[in-house]
Amino acid sequence: MLKINELKASIDEAQILKGLNLTINPGEVHAIMGPNGSGKSTLASVLAGREDYEVDGGSVDFEGADLLDMDATERARAGLFLAFQYPVEIPGVSNINFMRAAVNGKREHEGKEPIKGKDFLDMVKEKAKLVELDGRLRNRSVNEGFSGGEKKRNEIFQMAMLEPKLAILDETDSGLDIDALRIVSEGVNAMRSPDRSFLVITHYQRLLDYIVPDFVHVLVDGRIVRSGGKELALELEEKGYDWIKEDVTA
Amino acid sequence: MMDTAKPQVMDRPKKSVKLAASQQQGEAYLAAVEAVLGSARNDYDAALAALPVPHRRVERWKYTPVASWWTDVSSTGVCTAAEAGCEPCPVPGMDAYRLVFVNGCFDAAASDLPVHPGVTCMPVSQVSHEQPVDNDQPEHAEWFAAINGKFGREGLFLRVAKGVVLDRPILVHHHSSGSGVANVLRHDIAMEANSEVTVVQWSSAAADANGSLNALTRVAVGENAQFALDKVQDEEGQIRHVAFEDIRQARGSRADVHTVTVRGQWVRNDLTFRINGEGAHAELNGTFLPLDGEFVDNHTTVDHRVAHCTSSENYKGILYGKSTGVFNGKVFVRPDAQQTNAYQQNANILASDQASMNAKPELEIYADDVKCSHGCTIGQFDEEALFYARSRGIGMEAAKAMLVHAFIGEVLQGLAVPEVRMEVEHRLAEKHRWETFNDDPGA
Repeated sequence: MLKINELKASIDEAQILKGLNLTINPGEVHAIMGPNGSGKSTLASVLAGREDYEVDGGSVDFEGADLLDMDATERARAGLFLAFQYPVEIPGVSNINFMRAAVNGKREHEGKEPIKGKDFLDMVKEKAKLVELDGRLRNRSVNEGFSGGEKKRNEIFQMAMLEPKLAILDETDSGLDIDALRIVSEGVNAMRSPDRSFLVITHYQRLLDYIVPDFVHVLVDGRIVRSGGKELALELEEKGYDWIKEDVTA
Repeated sequence: MMDTAKPQVMDRPKKSVKLAASQQQGEAYLAAVEAVLGSARNDYDAALAALPVPHRRVERWKYTPVASWWTDVSSTGVCTAAEAGCEPCPVPGMDAYRLVFVNGCFDAAASDLPVHPGVTCMPVSQVSHEQPVDNDQPEHAEWFAAINGKFGREGLFLRVAKGVVLDRPILVHHHSSGSGVANVLRHDIAMEANSEVTVVQWSSAAADANGSLNALTRVAVGENAQFALDKVQDEEGQIRHVAFEDIRQARGSRADVHTVTVRGQWVRNDLTFRINGEGAHAELNGTFLPLDGEFVDNHTTVDHRVAHCTSSENYKGILYGKSTGVFNGKVFVRPDAQQTNAYQQNANILASDQASMNAKPELEIYADDVKCSHGCTIGQFDEEALFYARSRGIGMEAAKAMLVHAFIGEVLQGLAVPEVRMEVEHRLAEKHRWETFNDDPGA
């Protein structure tokens, strides 16, 4: 599905990723944890194609294609989805028009006709149920005036609409209360399948109680310094990150 | 009483800043227009002699180059829509009365005048009296408006009697064709108390047209009357378009003017509201999206002369290529105009690093118990929003079109006639090659 090899990336001449390796197979859920400033969100941004970042080296293979060679639109159409840590508000663009443009973009890529109005509305109805997205939020401007929880639910709703092959969740748990966390996680879990993979980026172990990962990686200073099963997350929760940092420098 | 208010507040030129070269060019232009259009009135000659021909040192023309005006005026052009090959009604499906003016001539065959009790509507050329011109009107302040006064003999003449609500909008269609034409149109509207009327003013021009259009619209809005003007400028060819609207409002009236510049090589709009009666509301919105080489200038004046009135203004521009925009929004609140609530917003997006926008809000407030707010921005497309849309698989151009639509949407929504809004959206999409945008996801 995804193979990251010795990825190096910088922003404003500051090197953030310093040779990162990660392989994700179909159906797997990987969690990336790490202290603040370790490069977690940079990894998500670089994978999604944010142009502020400079890739200085390494390669990323996505489904047999060179991911770094595609622009953000092409990556999304190829099946990559990023749930934003801070979803963007777009005043004046209704959520539903936004999603229809997105769905039709993907369909165009697949050589399909634009979706019919009724089919689209049926799809919206079905996917909105997954995250209990209120009907009125669908017709409002994208994320405008949404609460933190509503924004994150909207991200998962969009993910459900686009049915990506690989979904990256960038600190989706930040700003969520326990109920919203449950709803968002249930939405994600309902989408788990043998051919869909997830990369869950989080600072806290809490989210991983709900979305149980197959693998946990610890990112420190732009590199993955330790990988393990879900128990690694619990160990981190208990001991904090300092233990790993010391371990690494030792 | 208000005319004695101190300090002197209207921004009409106090001292003449004439420039010999400009005066000469203006006089040559005047002679050429006279040669083509023939016998003119002489009651504006004093104004013409007193006013400076615009140039860059005249404050209100600082960013508005007029050199393109000093080209040949050589013909009157054809006089009918049939000869010009233009569709009398540019808005499909709009049920409206219609007056068509081709190269400044009234085309009776292409027109459809209202027959309605309490409504007098005819071409100005068939009327012996027009509204008297007062000293505050643009004819006494702007050289181009004085030209309009001198040569304008055709246009819409409309009188609406007390309490009459016209059942359909009136479409005033200006069309220019041919080479070296100078169109001068003068519209004269007076509405009595409690009447309601909506006017659509649509300017078009043939792709090979070359010349100018000078249009002046005077509207007296009576007590508690409601006036709406949808003004659309969609001119192909090389047309210089100068337009003046002078709107006078009586007590409790409402006047809305929505100006959309779809296409235009050179456009200057000069819109003035004089609010003379308490409880009146003025609404003025506009949008312009010039492409490479186009020039669009909106000068607006809202003159709050009495207490308890409101005004709301919203102009939005997106400038592409090497285009230039000007916005100058003047709001006067005179000493007697207490409890005024005036709002002005002007937001602009530079879609190219070669486009330029000259924006200037000007608020002059002489009353102390008022609420006036204004905002003026010049920025770029929201990169975060673009990336967000692209990360959902929306292409860059489609994402930009979406943001544009969102940005100008509120102005387009304000247009009084829904069919006009739809046609404007269609034409903007065509001009900018956007994929058409459907607001109804069930369609």
